Amino acid sequence: MPPSMPSEPWIGHAEILDRLCGDAAGPLFPAATAESIRRYGAPVGRVVEHHHRLDRCMERLRELIHDARQQGTSLASGTVVVADVLSGSSGRFDRTWHAPEGGLWLALAWADTLLPSYSALLPLAAGIACCETVRSLGADCAIRWVNDVHLAGRKVAGILSETVATAHGERFHLLGIGLNVNNVDFPPDIAGEAISLAGITGRHHDRRGVAIRLLARLAWNIGLVHHCEQQGLAGDDGTLAGAATGPLIDRWRQLADSIGQRVVYGYDVVKRPLYRARVVDIDAAGGLCLALDDGALLTEYSGEIRYLD
Amino acid sequence: MSLKIHFDEIISKYRSDPYDYVDMHARHTGKVRFLVDEQAEVTGPSGEWKHIPGTSLYEITRERNTKVICSETNGTVSAINWDADNTFVEAGEKLLTIRHPLKKKEIIEAILQEVLYLFPAPERARYYFSMDIQSRIERKGARSVFVKPGDEIITMSLMKRDTPVYYTGEPGIIHSIYFRAGDSVDQGVPLIGVCAEDKLPLVQKIITRVKADWE
Repeated sequence: MPPSMPSEPWIGHAEILDRLCGDAAGPLFPAATAESIRRYGAPVGRVVEHHHRLDRCMERLRELIHDARQQGTSLASGTVVVADVLSGSSGRFDRTWHAPEGGLWLALAWADTLLPSYSALLPLAAGIACCETVRSLGADCAIRWVNDVHLAGRKVAGILSETVATAHGERFHLLGIGLNVNNVDFPPDIAGEAISLAGITGRHHDRRGVAIRLLARLAWNIGLVHHCEQQGLAGDDGTLAGAATGPLIDRWRQLADSIGQRVVYGYDVVKRPLYRARVVDIDAAGGLCLALDDGALLTEYSGEIRYLD
Repeated sequence: MSLKIHFDEIISKYRSDPYDYVDMHARHTGKVRFLVDEQAEVTGPSGEWKHIPGTSLYEITRERNTKVICSETNGTVSAINWDADNTFVEAGEKLLTIRHPLKKKEIIEAILQEVLYLFPAPERARYYFSMDIQSRIERKGARSVFVKPGDEIITMSLMKRDTPVYYTGEPGIIHSIYFRAGDSVDQGVPLIGVCAEDKLPLVQKIITRVKADWE
């Protein structure tokens, strides 16, 4: 289905930056450090393309990357595509993602300039941003590793992450976010597994306002990943040092409820669960540290979990 | 890659020394303390999920954090850099060597790696074939699957981020697969070995010869 034509600017970059600067940085960060983090993340939302209907926001971003390349230019890092409705949305593997009117469906393209060990943290950063957004609106949600935002097992936000490359070797990380805002009706097959902000708080939310909050939190947390890389490179040998990723990993721990949980793990945990274990922690690289029943310890950097208890 | 394989020479080399010598280097800076001696027998990870670590080889301490490094393979410790014991080392410094006894299958693969184009893992992640390649492998077998540069052949998955991996080597058929779907593979380790069509007869000759000559 051809995309609907972009409408008038739905959100201005200035609104996102105002929100970014207005959000408190917290006691961990001196003013100069907070300024540096904001500067790294500032490109988020520099272009926001809004559609009424698309198949998939990430697909539209791929088209934009390709079109820019054809014209001899490059897609602006931080470009966001938003749609009111998605007709071809999907989750990981062959799972569906229900994206009707009322939800916030968007995708962000972020130029790949991070070292691989730090770009691996971008999915975590996106999860933190989503959770901070819904909590700021009164929904006491938590993160399930890696970045599912949920309330008692019912998903409020889902995130897909892909990296795409052009023929010229340019690479972008695409972060696709689906946040259930005002959509309260879900198909029967997922009704028990999904919930929206409106369903939790009992009130309607201004989608545009939610989008500005989310993009500002994305800007901060992606900026934090870049800040962590800068700190890590300033260390002795540039490897992923626990101290460098500390602020991001600590923030994830504060928002997540996975640590201590008894879980089933699998690469595709729904179709092919592999084993049961207890979550012990996450490590400096975001890997999930698991204790098996025989006491052995494993760290997984891919895959997914479901809680058993 | 040369098309000439001097079989007698190669077979003789492996007969006289049927081992792979695996060097282990410091993963990062730190103070090293060895936990094994030379000639110690070591084992690699085991268990259904490779969750039981191999033999502990050395400790490395950096900023009061001590990490134990374990063997990834079985064999015998053939050499230790004793100058590094209880000393601060730089990342990449060679610490010890494990002599790993090669099985017939490993010898075949080692020889084939001289002939095949080895496509490496770009990052440490989990890998699985793209849907198109997977379905072709399931229908007709890997050795019927022809790949050329630019083909999307593999998906790399790390922290729920899926990245398509495009083939960049010589055109050919997928002769050897060095991973299972969902396996975690270290950066630089070969994922597949691709054989150009004109080298297929040579590859078959290698396999036949080693199987016949190797007891």
